[in-house]
Amino acid sequence: MTTAPAQVWQIARLTFLEAVRQRFFNFLLILGAALIGSASFFHQFDFGPQELRFTADFGLGGIMFFGSILAVVATAQLFFSEIENRTALTLLAKPVRRWSFLAGKLLGVALLLFVFVGLLVSLLAAYLWWQQGQRIAIWHAAKLAGEVKTEFPDLLRVQFVGLALDAVLLWLKFTVLAAITLLVASFSNTNLYTVIVSFFIFLICQLQYIAHDAWSGLESPILRGLVWFLSKLFPNFQLFAIGDQLVFIGKVPVPDGAVVAAFGYGVLYLIVFTTLAVGSFRGREI
Amino acid sequence: MSAPAIRIQHLTKDFRLGLRGIKLRAVDDLSFEVADNQVVGLLGPNGSGKSTTMKVILGLLEPTLGQCEIFGLRSDSVAARQLVGYLPESPYFYRFLSGRELVNYYAGICGVPQAGRARRVAEVLDLVGLTPAADRRVGTYSKGMLQRVGLAQAIVHDPRLVILDEPTAGVDPLGAIAISEIILELKRRGKTVLLCSHLLAQVEDVCDHLVMLNQGRLVTEGAVADLLRRENLTNLAVANYSPALRADLEALLARHGARLQHVDPARVALDQLFLEKVGHAPTKDSP
Repeated sequence: MTTAPAQVWQIARLTFLEAVRQRFFNFLLILGAALIGSASFFHQFDFGPQELRFTADFGLGGIMFFGSILAVVATAQLFFSEIENRTALTLLAKPVRRWSFLAGKLLGVALLLFVFVGLLVSLLAAYLWWQQGQRIAIWHAAKLAGEVKTEFPDLLRVQFVGLALDAVLLWLKFTVLAAITLLVASFSNTNLYTVIVSFFIFLICQLQYIAHDAWSGLESPILRGLVWFLSKLFPNFQLFAIGDQLVFIGKVPVPDGAVVAAFGYGVLYLIVFTTLAVGSFRGREI
Repeated sequence: MSAPAIRIQHLTKDFRLGLRGIKLRAVDDLSFEVADNQVVGLLGPNGSGKSTTMKVILGLLEPTLGQCEIFGLRSDSVAARQLVGYLPESPYFYRFLSGRELVNYYAGICGVPQAGRARRVAEVLDLVGLTPAADRRVGTYSKGMLQRVGLAQAIVHDPRLVILDEPTAGVDPLGAIAISEIILELKRRGKTVLLCSHLLAQVEDVCDHLVMLNQGRLVTEGAVADLLRRENLTNLAVANYSPALRADLEALLARHGARLQHVDPARVALDQLFLEKVGHAPTKDSP
């Protein structure tokens, strides 16, 4: 008899292969790459030394936008293709536990998101490297001309290790979003419903801090308790934005352990949503 | 004494429909057993509860009441499903894989050891007659080939019980005959086969035992030979028949207290005629 981890890996591999063959993934990948490349068209606006910061923000924003769409739509599509084509019926009639099936699906999507984030962040890093080289050359020429006296400031330099850490946090955030989508898919009947509800939850997670700020001054203990519960129920996606502060050296340093804490926070929610999805899917009639 | 391949006891399955939860009873107090190494036909009109019964046997549905065992194991256990191979009705598989990759994938899922997996996959592809098309993408397969690759994935892990849901749906007569031969080969290899089909001639040809359902209830069950036998009637096939012979025959039968009931010209079965006429011609399914 095969082991459950081996089954999970095989399901994940097939899910990943199926996903990369979909036009939707390739379309988003090309769109994301085009968006990063399009940052060069903003040269007509003179950002001066801040140009690198603009390019990084613009590129990471694009990855964030398309990655969120990919996490929701690909997860829903890959899950419902198994249900609607009844390949899930064939698979679950084998000695496969339902949790292995869901874990395999999630791992497959996580691999897909890893490739998506990895490729686009690598492209962004390469572009920033090239742009930084040009900026340093201009600065150096200005120094030779006596227009500036200092070396190219560290505050303007791209921190590529920080960019890599930011990519990891972005990927984790997308994977948590995929787990949320899987939870919704586990009880819903249609792909469209899953996509709409998952995007709605994504918005709640993304904007949670606003609600938290607005309601934190509440006097009613019941309402405060309710807000506290909701703030724990949905992950605060803004916590992952700490990664953006790692790409450049900020005026306020990122606290030690903040990245590890954000990573742990993401993993915790990943486990919770996957467990809930497994519990919900266990009773589903295929 | 070894446990039967399938034991269903007082199985009842209700579905709740709509927001008001209206109860629909798909299977009602069903009990039957399937002995080891038999080919058993599960028959019934649409909506008779065949698919629900099969899904319970496969552990895909939980019974509302009653229980189902496979070789003495609870049917919803992973250990029981290791003993079962399943071909769903109108199977759909990952179109981007080749037939070989698909069967290899399911072999891996079922725990066929890596060492002998490629050999085992080639063996079952050969058994179902798909070797020449094994490296073509499943998306290019005809219906008959899909059924065959479905059969291959169902038996790749050498299960003791094979459940086939409409294995000949949409398949031409030659393909259906080929599938019947595979079913009989599985029986020769010691497997138990549960066959659900609307192609009654095929069921009659390959099955040892029948279980007939209607409206979720057991209508009848038993050995095919017993169920189809007409009491106190015997057929004779006579060559060179003539009206004169008929008179002599009736007189002879009367002397023995028997009676000639009817005389019909002998006919060849349509599928046999089809096989004779086109049996050796290449078909669309032939790779």
